[in-house]
Amino acid sequence: MISYIYDGSFDGLLTSIYEAFYAKEKPTDIIREEDFRENFLVEKGYIKTDSEKARKVYSAIENKISPESLRRVFYAYLSELPDSGMIILRYLQVGFKIGSDVDLNLANEDVLNMDKISRLVGKERHRITGILRFKKIKEEILYARVEPDHNIIALVAPHFKERLKGENFIIHDTKREIGVFYNKKEWIVKDIERLDPFLVKDSEEIYEDLWRTYFKAISIQTKTNPKLQKRNMPMRYWKYLTEKNI
Amino acid sequence: MDKLKKLEILSDAAKYDVSCSSSGSNRKNKKDGLGNTSTAGICHSWSDDGRCISLLKILLTNYCVYDCVYCVNRSSNDLPRAIFTPEEVVDLTINFYKRNYIEGLFLSSAVFKSPDYTMELILKVVKTLREKENFNGYIHTKTIPGADDLLVEEVGRYVDRMSVNIELPSENGLKLLAPKKTKKDILKPMGFIHNNILQTKEDKKIFKATPNFVPAGQTTQMIVGATEDNDLNILNLSESLYKTLNLKRVYYSAFIPVSTNPKLPVINSPPLVRENRIYQADWLLRFYNFEAKELLDERNPNFDLELDPKCNWALRNIHLFPVEINKADYKTLLRVPGIGVRSAKRIISARNFTTLDFFDLKKLGIVLKRAQHFITCKGKYFGFNDINPEIIRSQIITPYKNGKDTRQISMFDNVSFEDKWMEIGGEI
Ligand code: SF4
Repeated sequence: MISYIYDGSFDGLLTSIYEAFYAKEKPTDIIREEDFRENFLVEKGYIKTDSEKARKVYSAIENKISPESLRRVFYAYLSELPDSGMIILRYLQVGFKIGSDVDLNLANEDVLNMDKISRLVGKERHRITGILRFKKIKEEILYARVEPDHNIIALVAPHFKERLKGENFIIHDTKREIGVFYNKKEWIVKDIERLDPFLVKDSEEIYEDLWRTYFKAISIQTKTNPKLQKRNMPMRYWKYLTEKNI
Repeated sequence: MDKLKKLEILSDAAKYDVSCSSSGSNRKNKKDGLGNTSTAGICHSWSDDGRCISLLKILLTNYCVYDCVYCVNRSSNDLPRAIFTPEEVVDLTINFYKRNYIEGLFLSSAVFKSPDYTMELILKVVKTLREKENFNGYIHTKTIPGADDLLVEEVGRYVDRMSVNIELPSENGLKLLAPKKTKKDILKPMGFIHNNILQTKEDKKIFKATPNFVPAGQTTQMIVGATEDNDLNILNLSESLYKTLNLKRVYYSAFIPVSTNPKLPVINSPPLVRENRIYQADWLLRFYNFEAKELLDERNPNFDLELDPKCNWALRNIHLFPVEINKADYKTLLRVPGIGVRSAKRIISARNFTTLDFFDLKKLGIVLKRAQHFITCKGKYFGFNDINPEIIRSQIITPYKNGKDTRQISMFDNVSFEDKWMEIGGEI
């Protein structure tokens, strides 16, 4: 039994796929370095990220399967779920056989697993476009904190860039300590190790009060249904939700 | 009065409007502009009643010159009143939008001074938002019954969606509860909006630069349970609204007693299960190719509260079942209880590769609780020995306790009332 261990980058993952395709002994796991737990039964196969090999896999998926397939692989990667590496590998094995129709073959377990995992990420991406909250901080910057299950801030960045063209904004993933920074022209993802104190301090805002007032008033008391509310908006997302932090 | 207080009063007054959808429009942002819209719509929060919050839904004012019996804002009702200035509405919209609280504005109003006067205030809001603030997020406005066509037309050029609420589904209901309104007052602006939408589409074919008119279409709302109207009346009306006026959505709202006027029915709690059944039937009309007359008739003019309309239809047409999952076409699959739009599509797609058995269906995420009674897989039937409507019924009903609406509305609980119908679980 051999576990591939990669550095956590997308290129690293694609390199692992490359190696797996050519290896005699197929890996039983493909895992990010930070998720790896020592286990004396498994042999460790450290994968050295190789951008040339990664590029080959990338274009093979895009051209021999489909751009949609590539999107799914990327979403599955962003899921950061421990079994995502193997789901991707197995899916691609089927994918290179079937070609562009692979995603229709939902009765196949590997295709189905890919469908589920990429859908999970897509769903969270969509959800975060709704429940992310900005607050105005110093020098006219809109600042939002999120703690998504999956690594999706780069997926929501284009959405906010399009809407808030003329604003500066930061989307801070406090779990992964990274952030999207947008300066009215372009956006990048950067590490955020230490926060400037002005970012941490919650600036008091009249609009936040107005929003909370609205939130309360819009609900019909005779139809109160907390279960439904929580199902649509799970509590793990409430931490940074203006209307739920009074 | 401060803004906070006004907002409290005027959002409280708007909460009975069910619609909060931000879908159907794909307005792009402009240079130096703020906002765009997403065709599928986006929910930004869910209020304590579990409903999706997508738009800032407020009344411009709740001062009203009319006295409709069923309405909280009726002039004879003693309650706190407020009026926003157009500037205040604009300011709230922009600042809420920037903080990503909302997709845009849903502005409605009681009738202040006169229909035209009110409509002019609404026009001022939408015009300022679009022209001065360069705001390209979603805007939905009501039209005020009785307002001048020209005003309605001008507002329509700025907004994404418009609605006129029918509220009471029959002329008799109107006479009794809203004596100053007539059917004509309500239907006329709906027809007018419809014609303008059509006209704009035609014009656009010739002149691409023709300004938009209500690109996300019009919707309406009806109250369920404030009048004698049965489900068949309501559904027939909806069907003809979809067919003749091409409405995007009809919303239904279980009547909530807001006054003790003797003209109103005496009820303890809003008829939520009934409302739910009508929504399900509405879905069947729009996405499942059903017709109202298949679901209800003069002999059975109301829905079975224990059973969803599709199951009900299937049990009455049991001779059409079971259907073979590997052969039935899309339309037929959609008519199987428990199989919705998404499931039907998944079945069709997976079938291309392999013959499906019962466990494949489970893997595909298809809920078989209801479906199993109506299908075969590779010729095999998984329900009880023989297909008997009575027995099936007893297996799948949700008991309706002694005339009381129970809270256990299962199927539509996961509906956000956002237009994302795929997410309804689709699986009616
Ligand atoms: S006109 Fe509208 S706001 Fe005024 S009382 Fe009638 S329904 Fe209510």
